[in-house]
Amino acid sequence: MNTATDKAGFVKLIEENKGIILKICGSYCNNPSDREDLAQEIIYQLWKSGKNFNPDYKFSTWMYRVALNVAISYYRKEKKGPQLTPVEELHIDIIEDTTVDNEKERNLQLLQQFIAELKQLDKALILLWFEDKSYKEIADIMGITETNVATRINRVKQQLKNKFEVHKTSE
Amino acid sequence: MMEDKQLNELWQQYDAKLQEARILNLQSWVLNLQQFERLQKEKASRKLRGITGIKLLGVVLGLAWSIFLLFLVWHSLHWSRIFFVVSLTAIALITLYAVIMYVGHLALINQINNEDAVLAQQEKISRLQASTLHVCRILFLQMPFYCFWFITPEMLQNEWLKNLLITLPITIGFTWLAVWLYRNISVENTEKKWFRILFSSREWTYPVKALKILGEIEEYKRSVVVN
Repeated sequence: MNTATDKAGFVKLIEENKGIILKICGSYCNNPSDREDLAQEIIYQLWKSGKNFNPDYKFSTWMYRVALNVAISYYRKEKKGPQLTPVEELHIDIIEDTTVDNEKERNLQLLQQFIAELKQLDKALILLWFEDKSYKEIADIMGITETNVATRINRVKQQLKNKFEVHKTSE
Repeated sequence: MMEDKQLNELWQQYDAKLQEARILNLQSWVLNLQQFERLQKEKASRKLRGITGIKLLGVVLGLAWSIFLLFLVWHSLHWSRIFFVVSLTAIALITLYAVIMYVGHLALINQINNEDAVLAQQEKISRLQASTLHVCRILFLQMPFYCFWFITPEMLQNEWLKNLLITLPITIGFTWLAVWLYRNISVENTEKKWFRILFSSREWTYPVKALKILGEIEEYKRSVVVN
């Protein structure tokens, strides 16, 4: 990739796609310092792999592959495993926080929490679905069939919805 | 029940929040890429040397141990040492099998490429990291052979009661334990108490996590078949 091997072009590409990196890091690491570490690792791997990029493919597909592979590998390196805040504690924190739109903020935190609790591959899949990627592109990034993408995404969405439902009824 | 649209809206809000927050200073890292690259190269090469080094050490020690055992077997080929020959041969063969597995995994190290599709790439890395656990469960199969290598046919005749009451139950017990461990050291049991106790030390963290990801990959593959 000519643009990625030259630094200015690479800076531009990262700026344009930083949302992807931020969301992947946010979903795979709860701890802010781990999140920074992971983002650095992703940027380095993108920079390193840039010379192998085949311009016939979509840049975002290539970027997602590299970023998700680095993120899932990073999960294995984490010494303590994902540190999740129990939903109940999260709920108490939010109820006490009166400075924000409680309902909206609570749902946002729950969404982050529920995504963090997903299995590593399911997490990758739902991130791609949220990013409005077509089933074909998701299949290409993940290396599974489109039918499998559709089935798995429905299951993961259902899992997330159930978790919201259970939380709602437990309130 | 929440609709897809609501889930999506929540995600958009999360996205907007992340963009505002600017948690990560991406641009400064990119501008310092050269320095960063040097540090990362050093880190990566240290890690790779670590994995390769451990596996190479395993291969060398395993080979040396097998050769030593087979040397002893070669010089003991006599009916009076039948138990010694059988148990040492079995231990040597199991060790050699583990060595072959390690060699296969060393070859996998060179195939790692982050640009591959996620499932294929994660399978390679996870197999590599979980290999230590697989080798460990194979090596457990040696246990019963350590229980009777010292027995001779004369001992069986002269001390049959002692062997019947002590050696036989111990050998049966270790055989059962070895087979049980071989069958149960698997992804389905990673959350069980005995598994966590057995593999609680720090060096088992990566292999156990890798085993869990392999379980997820298998689940994905099964879905393909079902579909």
